Amino acid sequence: MTALAQRPYGRVGGARRGPWSGAGLPLLLPALVPVLVFSVGPLVYGILLAFTDARSGRNTETSFAGLRNFAELLSDGDFWESFRIGMVWGLSVTVLQFLASLGLALLLNQDLRLRGVARVLAVVPWAMPPVVIGLMWRLVYHPDAGLLNGLFGTHVDWLHDFSLALPAVIVVGVWTGMPQTTVVLLAGLQSVPKELYEAVSVDGAGAWRRFWNVTLPQLRPVIVAITSLDFVWNINQFSLVYVLTQGGPGGRTRLPMLFAYEEAFRYGFFGYAATLGVAITIVVLAVLGLYLWRQAREAD
Amino acid sequence: MSERSGRIGKAAANRRRGGGVRRLGAALAVAAVALAAAACGSGDGGDAASGRNGEPVKLRFLSLAWQKESIQANKEIVAAWNAANPKIQVEYVQGSWDNVNDQLVTSFEAGDPPDVIHDDSPALASFASRGYLLDLTGKLPDELKNDIPQAAWDTVTFSDGKSGQGVYGVPFLQESQVLIANKKLLVAAGVRMPTPDAPWTWDEFADVARKLTKKGAYGVAWPMKSPVNKVLNLALNFGGTFFETRDGKTTVKVGPQEREVLRRIHDQLYKDKSADPSALGMGTADPLPGFFAGKYAIVPAGVYLRQQVAEQAPDGFEWVTLPPLKGQTSQQGAVSQTLSVAADSKHPDEAVKFIAYFLNGPNQAKLAKGDWLLPTSTSAAKISALTTEENGWDVATASAKDLVVAPFLKVNGYDEWKSKVATPAMQEYFADKISLDELATRLVEEGNKVLERYSR
Amino acid sequence: MTRALKYLALLGYVAFLAFPLLWLLSTALKTPREMALIDPTWIPRRPTLANFADAFAEQDLVGAGLRSLLVAVATAVITVVLALPAAYALARFRGPAGKIAIGWVLLSQVFPVVLVIIPLFMVLRRLELVNTLAGLTVVHVVFVMPFALWMLRGYVRAVPRELEEAAAVDGAGRLRALAAVVAPLLAPGVVATLLFSFISSWNEFLFALVILKDPEVETLPLTLVRFVGPEGVARLGPLAAASLLATVPSLVFFAIIQRRLRSGLMAGAVKG
Repeated sequence: MTALAQRPYGRVGGARRGPWSGAGLPLLLPALVPVLVFSVGPLVYGILLAFTDARSGRNTETSFAGLRNFAELLSDGDFWESFRIGMVWGLSVTVLQFLASLGLALLLNQDLRLRGVARVLAVVPWAMPPVVIGLMWRLVYHPDAGLLNGLFGTHVDWLHDFSLALPAVIVVGVWTGMPQTTVVLLAGLQSVPKELYEAVSVDGAGAWRRFWNVTLPQLRPVIVAITSLDFVWNINQFSLVYVLTQGGPGGRTRLPMLFAYEEAFRYGFFGYAATLGVAITIVVLAVLGLYLWRQAREAD
Repeated sequence: MSERSGRIGKAAANRRRGGGVRRLGAALAVAAVALAAAACGSGDGGDAASGRNGEPVKLRFLSLAWQKESIQANKEIVAAWNAANPKIQVEYVQGSWDNVNDQLVTSFEAGDPPDVIHDDSPALASFASRGYLLDLTGKLPDELKNDIPQAAWDTVTFSDGKSGQGVYGVPFLQESQVLIANKKLLVAAGVRMPTPDAPWTWDEFADVARKLTKKGAYGVAWPMKSPVNKVLNLALNFGGTFFETRDGKTTVKVGPQEREVLRRIHDQLYKDKSADPSALGMGTADPLPGFFAGKYAIVPAGVYLRQQVAEQAPDGFEWVTLPPLKGQTSQQGAVSQTLSVAADSKHPDEAVKFIAYFLNGPNQAKLAKGDWLLPTSTSAAKISALTTEENGWDVATASAKDLVVAPFLKVNGYDEWKSKVATPAMQEYFADKISLDELATRLVEEGNKVLERYSR
Repeated sequence: MTRALKYLALLGYVAFLAFPLLWLLSTALKTPREMALIDPTWIPRRPTLANFADAFAEQDLVGAGLRSLLVAVATAVITVVLALPAAYALARFRGPAGKIAIGWVLLSQVFPVVLVIIPLFMVLRRLELVNTLAGLTVVHVVFVMPFALWMLRGYVRAVPRELEEAAAVDGAGRLRALAAVVAPLLAPGVVATLLFSFISSWNEFLFALVILKDPEVETLPLTLVRFVGPEGVARLGPLAAASLLATVPSLVFFAIIQRRLRSGLMAGAVKG
C-alpha cells in the first residue's frame, strides 16, 4: 500500500492500447452522438467562415478569402493589445481561483461544525443569476455609495482607475468562478481512498507531508481537469466584465472575446470574427497542450 | 457555458428566400445541417403560414418596455387591439434592452424574426443597410405620418444598403438631455433659474457650477460610462458634427466646433474643479445617491432619469428639471425609440396596421408617460399630463423642439468607431491622460481607418 | 493550524462568497428611496414586500421557474447518465479514438460556443426543436457534456486501477467490482457533475433567448433581464426579489445532494 501511495495515478496498472480496446466504443457512443450531431456541423462551419469574407445581411455575397483575414489579424494592433489583457486576465483569474478554492475545499473537507451550511453558502456566487451579479458588483465598487469604500473608508473609483480597474474585475472573476472549482476539488478530495492516508499515517507523516505526498498527487487528474477548464472559460468570458466597465477605462479591461463578439454581432463581419475566434482557439489550445503535456510527463 | 461563456455570436447564412443569398454561406450552412437533417429526415419546419382558411393572423410583437407603468400601458394597448381585431392577433413578447441586439441578429440571420420590433434609431441604421427591415415608405397611413414631425422621421430614414433611402421604423419615444438639479442648493447660491425660453448658456452653466462647488460638494457630476453618444449629441450645441461627407466619402472631423463641448467638460473637471472626476465612470443613474446627499448639485441626464429621481428622492428633497444648455443653439441629437417590421415577416400589411394603431396620439401619450420620455406625436405632446409642471414634464416636453437628427446616426461604421476608437480615447481625455489635440488626432486618424473598412 | 484559525478562515471565505445573499434579501425588502442612500443600509428601515408583489405581478415567475426546473433536472440527469460510462471508457481504455474524442471535447469548449449559435439554431429548426423545452434541454445537454466528460474522466483516473483489479481478482467480477469499489469512489464526482449541469442549465440565458420565442415556454433567466433597462439602469428592487427566488432552488438542490459529496463505503472495502 505504501508503494501505491507514492505512485498514485496515471499509469498505475498500465493503460490498454488498441483503437477501442474492448468495451470502449459502446460506452462512448451515447455521449458522443448528440455532441456530434449538434456541435460538429456548426463548429466546422464556424471555423470555415474564418477563410471567407462573410458579412451579415440579406443581400451580401460571400467568397473565399484564403488567408487574407489572418494577414489582417496580424496587423490588428488593438486586438493584440486586448489579447495581452485577456491573457493576464485568464491566467491570473485561473491561478487565484485555484489557490483560493483549494484552500476552501481543504477547509470544507475537515471535520468542522456547520460545514454543511458553509458548503451551501460557498456556492452562492454560482447560484446567483448572472444578470444580477454585474449590477451588484457595480454597487460594491460604487465610488460614492459603494460597500468597499464604506468598508475601508477610502474614496477610490475602483472600476474607473486606470491601474485598479483590471485587478478589480479580476477579483470579481475569481469570486464568480470559485464555487465550481471548490466543489470539484472537494469532490476530488473526497475520492481519495482512506487507505492511502492510513498507510502514510503508519509511516508517521505530518499533515503537511500527507498533503504533499498523498492528497496532491491523488488530486492531480482533477486539478489538471478543472484548471484547464477554468482557463478556457475565463478566456471566453467577457459579458461580466463588460457590464462592469464596458471595456474601460481607455480599453484597460477590453477582453479579446469582446472583439470577436462585437465584430460579428455589432459590425456584422462574420468572416473576420471567425478569424478572431480561431486565433484565440489556437493560442488557448497551445497553452493548454503545453500544460497538459507537462502534467502528464510529471505524473509519469 | 451559461454565465461563463458570455455572449458571443457569429455566423450563418441566409438560408431563406431573398435576392442575395450568399452562395458560399448557404452551401456551408447546408453542409452544417446535413448531418442532423439526414439523420432525422425532417421536412422544412418553420411556422406554418397562418391566415389561410380564415384562421386569425398571428403577429409577434417584441417589446422592450421595462418600467412598471410602461409595461402596463403596452399590455393594455395590445389587449385593446386584440379585442377589436379578432382576425389579427398580436402576441406580446417582452425582450430586454440588455440583449435585444443578440436576439435580433440571430433571428434575422436565421430568417425567423418577430414581426413587429421595438428598438431605437441607432440600431436601425445597421439593420436597415443589411436588409433586415421592411421599408415603410408609402405604407403608413397619412394620419400617423402627419402627426410626427419630419425631424423625427429623419432619425429613421436610412440607406437601404444599395442605392436608395427608406423609412425603417416609426419613431415614437424620444430622449433629450436635460439637467436635473437640487433646487435648495440653486436657490441658496442665488443663481438665475433658467427657463425653456431663456436657458443657461454653457458659460453661465460653468459659472453656476463653480458657485455650487464647496468643500466636499461639486456643482456637477458627469456620468460618462458611455461618453460618446452624450458628447456627440451635445456637440451640436456648437455645430459640432464629428463627421463630414464629401464626394460620397465620410470622414471624421474634429475642428473647433467639435472641441467646444469636450473642452468645457474637461475644464469643469480639472480647471474649475467644479465637476467630480470620480463620477466619470458612472452610468446614468449612478450619481443619484450623491445627488440626494447634496454632493452633486446638478446631474446632466436623459429626461427618463426623472422617473428614478421622483421615485428615489428622500422626503423633503426638492429637485427641478432644467432645460438643455445653449451654445450657439440648443440643438441636440435625437435618439428615438422605434417600431419596425421585419423584412421576413409573413404578414407585413397587418403588422403596419397594428403599428399605426399602437402609435396613435392617445396611445403615444400613455407610452411616453409610462417611460418618462417624449412622444414624437404632436397631438400627444399637447395633452395635459405631458405639459404639467409636476416632475418637470413641461420643461422636458418643451425640449423636444430642439431635437434634430445627429449626423453620426447615418454613418456606416459609427458603431465600431465608437467602441474601438472614441470610447477609449474620450475616457483617456476625461481622465486627463491625453490632451485635446491628441484626442482629436486619434479620433480622426484611427477613426478614418475604421470607416474605410465600410466603404470597401 | 489550530481549530480556531480554521473557523476564522472558513468564516472569511463564507463572508466573501455569500454576502450577496444578504444583499439580495436586503435589497428585495427596500423601498426605492432607501436604495439610493449614500450610506447603504443592510437592514431595511422600512421593509416592504412591494418588490415581490411587483415581480410576481409582472412576470410569470412561478411558471417560468417550473419550466426552468424541468429543463435543469432533465439536463442534469441525462448528462450524467450519458457521460458516466463514456468517461469511464475514456479513462480506462486509451486509444487513438479516445484521444480524438477528448480533443474534440476540448476544442468544443475552447471555440466560443456562442460563435456557432446561428448555425446551431438552423440545425434545431430543421429538427423542429425551436420554441420547445425539449430543444433547449438537448442544447444544454450537448454543451454541458464536454465538462461532464472531462471532469468525470479525471475522477475515474483518480481511482487507482489496483483497487478495481484487486476487487475483480477477489472474485467479484468486473461489473461487481465497478459497483462495489469504483461507484462509491465516484459518487462525489457525480454529485459535482450533477450540480454543475443543473446550475448551468438553470442559469443559462443565451440559448434560451434564441430558442424560446413564446411567453408560454420561456425560462426564468429570460424573465429576470426584463427588470434591466437601457444603459444598465435597472429596477433593482423587483430584480433582487426575483433573483432571490431564482437563487434559492440551486442552493436547495445543492443542500440536498451535498451529503453525497463524500465517498461512502470506501474504507475497508478493499483490504490491500
